[in-house]
Amino acid sequence: MDHMEYVLNILPFILSGLKLTAKIYVATLVIALPLGLLAAIGKVKGSKLIKQVLFLYTWVWRATPLLLQLFFMFYGLPVIGIRLSPFAAATITYALNYGAYLTEIFRGGIESIDKGQYEAAKTLGMTYPQTMRRIIIPQTVRRVLPTTCSEAVNLVKDTALLAVLGLPDLLRIATQIFTRDFDITPFIVAFILYLIISSVLVKLFGKLEKMYSIYE
Amino acid sequence: MTMIRMNNIHKYFGSLHVLQGVSLEVAKGEIVAVIGPSGSGKSTLLRCMNQLERIDQGLLEIEGIVIEAAGDVGIKVTATPQEVRATYRRMGMVFQNFNLFPHMTALGNVMEAPISVNKVTKATAVQIAEKQLAKVGLLEKKDTFPSKLSGGQKQRVAIARALAMNPDIMLFDEPTSALDPELVGEVLSVIKKLAQEHMTMLIVTHEMGFAKEIADRVIFMDDGKILEDSSPKEFFENPRHSRIKTFLEKML
Repeated sequence: MDHMEYVLNILPFILSGLKLTAKIYVATLVIALPLGLLAAIGKVKGSKLIKQVLFLYTWVWRATPLLLQLFFMFYGLPVIGIRLSPFAAATITYALNYGAYLTEIFRGGIESIDKGQYEAAKTLGMTYPQTMRRIIIPQTVRRVLPTTCSEAVNLVKDTALLAVLGLPDLLRIATQIFTRDFDITPFIVAFILYLIISSVLVKLFGKLEKMYSIYE
Repeated sequence: MTMIRMNNIHKYFGSLHVLQGVSLEVAKGEIVAVIGPSGSGKSTLLRCMNQLERIDQGLLEIEGIVIEAAGDVGIKVTATPQEVRATYRRMGMVFQNFNLFPHMTALGNVMEAPISVNKVTKATAVQIAEKQLAKVGLLEKKDTFPSKLSGGQKQRVAIARALAMNPDIMLFDEPTSALDPELVGEVLSVIKKLAQEHMTMLIVTHEMGFAKEIADRVIFMDDGKILEDSSPKEFFENPRHSRIKTFLEKML
């Protein structure tokens, strides 16, 4: 068979896998970004109890392997009677895992803002929520953007763990075609797709950083 | 009318007794220069007035409203938290390090509080901000971000930002200490302009000539206490304490 024709032949399957990867990717970020931000504010300003709960959260989720966390969600929760769809289980795991990392990134960012900014806002009569929303968070976003972007690119690659759990993501589909045809072409296609997606994201985030650096 | 009344104020930072029973009254339109060696409690005094620091003991009244009554002073704060906020909001503050919002233009910095605190429309805020920037001579820099401004320009924007809230009292915490010598003048001349408009002002400063020129009163602080509170003429020409004489000799 002509090689190009073979690639075009398997591409629709692989792209269907990419669709799942993309869905989980977007869902994860949509949950993890606000989660990280709120948890970071909680870590900076919350009550003692909130701080302790958040400490436990970021500690456990950052100190254990993501794959093991996925195993717990997929095989552990049903044991105690909680049954989630594979999509929900995967999204929740990724969101909580990335949320934990983002919490620490955002917390560091918030704490790096000079206390003079709070004082200036206070003497102008601004309330704490106003100060956070208008003064602190915008500056924090600028500072944490590079680290957040590299996390976002990591997530693309981490979604490949779904293949281990048997979810039909990009890598899983490629593997299935490989076992069917005994041809490594699907892996090469997957390889190139991951490269393209990651590069596009890096480019996009670069633009975002540039947009935010206008005041420097 | 008494704008600020402090009675027997004490403030501790840990075991450090920073303010040791300070009493002070500032009348409307008065310009008070606060002078003293570093660590004498000058900045803390200012920061206690607008609640950046909480007093540990004593009574603080702003425009006749009891803002804080800490310790055993026999008076209770009867104002609601909103009234307290409203009162200390009428005090503008200018910091040594400007504390401009770096992610906003000069205009954005000045517009921010009128919009978020006073809830004026954006168009009104632009008007207010442009007026204040013109007053400090920086209207043509309105679209510039703080990172592109000189220290003197930053401080003038910071003054405009405080003025935009239409304060009754302005507090200056060493407004020229972080500036290159050649930039000090432009900031002082803005403050002089406010003095001509009879704005009530407290200015912590190391600029002796400036204090002598514009202040109605000079307060000398040392070791958490007010050592002298007199007219500039008396203070500079005939200081009562030898401590002040030594200080002035070192400064001049």
